[in-house]
This record gives sequence, C-alpha cells and structure tokens, in this order.
Amino acid sequence: MSRSITVLMDLPADNDSHRFTVDALAHAVAAVGAPVQVTIVRTDVIGDLGDGVVIGPGSPYRDPAAAEQAIQTARARGIPLVGT
Amino acid sequence: MLVEHARTLLGIHAASHAEYDHADADNPRVEVVSLLACALTESQIEISITPHTLLAEIHAGETRRVERTHCSYGLSPDFSHIASQAGMRVSAIDDTGEVRAVERADHPFYLGTLYQPQRTSSPKRPHPLWVAFARAVTA
Repeated sequence: MSRSITVLMDLPADNDSHRFTVDALAHAVAAVGAPVQVTIVRTDVIGDLGDGVVIGPGSPYRDPAAAEQAIQTARARGIPLVGT
Repeated sequence: MLVEHARTLLGIHAASHAEYDHADADNPRVEVVSLLACALTESQIEISITPHTLLAEIHAGETRRVERTHCSYGLSPDFSHIASQAGMRVSAIDDTGEVRAVERADHPFYLGTLYQPQRTSSPKRPHPLWVAFARAVTA
C-alpha cells in the first residue's frame, strides 16, 4: 500500500534547504524501497497530513498557526513527525 | 514543535517564537524560541546523543556525530527545562550544552532537530534519521 509524506515548507524550490530536504527524503524512500508519495505543501494551504509529516526549514512560515496545528495533530494522532 | 509543546502541554499560552508575535503592552509573550547569540548558518556542529533515546537507536548507539546546521534560532536558555517535561526529552546537545534535538517518549516517531540532517544525506549514504522516518511512515 502506498503511503504519503507531507512536507510543510514555504521556501521556494530553488532554495538550498528546500532542495536538501526533498533530496534527503528521496534518498530515504529509495533506501526503504516502499512506495511513498512525498508532497510539498505551503503552510497556508495545509490539507490532509497523510502518513508522515515533515516540518521543513524556512521560518517564518506563511501561516505559523496552521503549522502549529499540524504539529499538534501529528503529535496527538501518533503520526510520524520530523521537524528540522 | 517547542512552541506547540509549551502552549498545549505545559500551559504556557504566551509561548512564542522570536520571529513571530512581537510583544507590546497588549500582547505580552514568553520567548521560548529565541535568536541564537551566534547564528549557525552553513555551519557544522558536533552533537552528543543521549543514550537510550530514539535518536540513539537511529544512530545505532553512536554517541557523538557531526551534523550541519543552518539556523539562527534555538530553544531559549531560560526555557531549556521544558525540553524534559510533559513527555518530551532531550535527544542531543551540542558542545555548549544547548539542546539540539528533542523527541517524545509517548509517540512512535516524533523528532525535532536544531540542525539539518538533510544536508549530509546522499543517494549512497542516506541520512539514518530520514531512513528511520521513512520506515516509520511505511510500518
């Protein structure tokens, strides 16, 4: 079954921290060898959090309250969560 | 993550991040995350990993390692104690004793770092933290 990771990140795609984050997730997903869809989402348009959440670098966020709500939801529901 | 922890679990409702919520007479705040005295942009730091934590498990018991960082904010020294309260625990500190990673004992995979493990990942050597995260997502 395919799983999904939502990366909350407002940085533009050409930013170093953005690229490092996307690349590192791709390396990890390849290492695990399971189907995982990684989606980059801006903090002001957060929807379903999926099966794992990354709080990406690059604060201040467009919508810090929404980012905090996502953290709370992931924490309370036991959804794997990484913040860097 | 630290601000959410402080607000929701510790009841510090005015907890804030230095980049947000500027204080004034009508809006007092408690700066849990503050500007570092020395911004760690494009830097390397050596961290000490707390034994018997998720982070220690991820790094197979390794106690010291070098990580790259690119941030200007960290847990305020006045609030370092909150990283060891309400289910949160310190996973790693740096050589100045500042908290560099936190996790939750009551959560299957909750890890926050004040460094960027993504900066040392490569296709041939994916960073163990991200691999462990991917495994947790697919478990």
